[in-house]
Amino acid sequence: METFDLLTSPDQADMRRIVLTALLAGLSVVLMCGILSPLVVVKRLGFVGQGVSHSAFGGIGIAAVLAAAGWIVPGGAAEFAVIVAFCIAAALGMATLSDRRTTPVDTAIGMFLVGSMALGAVLIQASGSRTSWESILFGSILVAGNPEAIAGWGIAIAVVLAAWLWRRPMLFWTFDEESAAAFGVPARRMQLTLMILLTLAVVTAMKLAGVILATALLVLPGAIALRLSDRLRTVMALSVAAGVLGLVGGLVASIELNWQAGPSMVLVLTLLFGLAAAWSRATRSRRASA
Amino acid sequence: MPTLFGPTAPTVLASGEPAVDCQSVGFAYPGGSPVLENITLRVNQGERLGILGPNGGGKSTLLKLALGLLSGNSGSIRVLGMSPNEARRAGAIGYVPQRPEAELGMPMSARELVTLGAAWKCPAWKRVPANVRERVDRMLGLVGARDFADRPAGKLSGGQLQRVMIARALAADARILVLDEPTVGIDAAGQRVFADLLARVHSELQLTMIVVSHDLRAIVAGSDRVACLARRLHAHAAPQGLTPQVLAELFSHEIAGAPGTLTGMHVHAHSAAECCTETQAPPSAPVPLGVSAERAGGGTP
Repeated sequence: METFDLLTSPDQADMRRIVLTALLAGLSVVLMCGILSPLVVVKRLGFVGQGVSHSAFGGIGIAAVLAAAGWIVPGGAAEFAVIVAFCIAAALGMATLSDRRTTPVDTAIGMFLVGSMALGAVLIQASGSRTSWESILFGSILVAGNPEAIAGWGIAIAVVLAAWLWRRPMLFWTFDEESAAAFGVPARRMQLTLMILLTLAVVTAMKLAGVILATALLVLPGAIALRLSDRLRTVMALSVAAGVLGLVGGLVASIELNWQAGPSMVLVLTLLFGLAAAWSRATRSRRASA
Repeated sequence: MPTLFGPTAPTVLASGEPAVDCQSVGFAYPGGSPVLENITLRVNQGERLGILGPNGGGKSTLLKLALGLLSGNSGSIRVLGMSPNEARRAGAIGYVPQRPEAELGMPMSARELVTLGAAWKCPAWKRVPANVRERVDRMLGLVGARDFADRPAGKLSGGQLQRVMIARALAADARILVLDEPTVGIDAAGQRVFADLLARVHSELQLTMIVVSHDLRAIVAGSDRVACLARRLHAHAAPQGLTPQVLAELFSHEIAGAPGTLTGMHVHAHSAAECCTETQAPPSAPVPLGVSAERAGGGTP
């Protein structure tokens, strides 16, 4: 067992530190994604997550140009801030531009998604950056160091705290936007708040799973939990638990089979969803026949 | 009046103030033709108003203007003496939407949904106060929803969810209850039960009630007065004042495309008076219309 050796062998201290740091950074991501995920599934915001994560490509391009000009240090906090700022601007742009009559929300998301991807591709090439495309697309959690873990936990605590503080108006608005607005809930503020929280979660998740797979961490835990329960607190707890299982399972698969960590995590979560769907179907048919 | 969690809403209970007062209200969506023209309408506190009209007649638009969900109208709208936005922020209006608006996959029980309506302003670090929880329970009982209060919203029938939505509006302590197309998809028996429920709620709480529908039966059964709206206000009178001529005029532009039918209007009875006698005590001086709504419509050029 490679994993057992890695955890116990004195020779593997460096590798152990790398994996445990990755685990620590990953836990921050699965915590905030797990909390937000049921809302994302219920409000059908999966494509928003996809749009935001792909928009990060534009932010990466701008950061690459700024780094080439010597204004920021590649891989530093400033680069991360540029990417986050670009993604938040893109998310707010999607929310502002979408209009039921002229520009449906999926069209607005699609435009930002492809526009940012194109901008990122052009700028990364123009900057002469040697950024690994593979790590952008599929993530590289095992290169996460202490700064990434600290930033991840800082963002996770802020996101979870905000979600807890606004949970009542946010849940009301999530269930029924128009009624909530009629009851006085600041609907626009709720929409923008949720978009910003999602963006922070997605951008942080990109470290684990990359641009392409980050949305999986925002969609699959909630989808799994909603198959298993229809009680809010249980769903939230199951969603976080599914994320933790996916993270640990993905890291173990990565160590044992030498697979990439990000895709391994997504595969574990997909497998968990399959099991949850089968379990809920079996339970339903058992109830129906009883 | 002190609200549960927020600042005081000074004019909510100003006595003598009309619940809703529309003066010469007009509205057009950007680039479109007028949806509402010169609507002058007053709803007194404690009154039950039905707004009847064909699809596209401006009912929902007027409702959204009064709820503060739309702006940009000409004329003036006052809700309990406040602007619609002030009234909305003060929680003066309890809105009961049509069912499809809600996200029924939400993992929340009926009781949790009703509690949210009453306590969404309650600070996150505080428990929902006991008096609010008691009121939630009382309102669930009033609408006959206590038996399924702990069931997930997604597992409720249309009629059950409708009751829960009414309980949510009542638990929020709103002074005006607004129901948008409440009987869509409910059969005739269900509609009678629903009319009884609204009558019970009204007699117990003395709320102002506004029911918007294109269903003649739903409107006539539970209204003190009926406003007939098809871009303009065609009539504003007691249900027995709904003459065939008014109905014909009201629905005439829908009939133009399909002579002899009332498309978009779900008429189950042949007259307003008949609707009244089927569902509740008849009006004090029922006026038999003599002509069915269908014939009234069909006879209109």
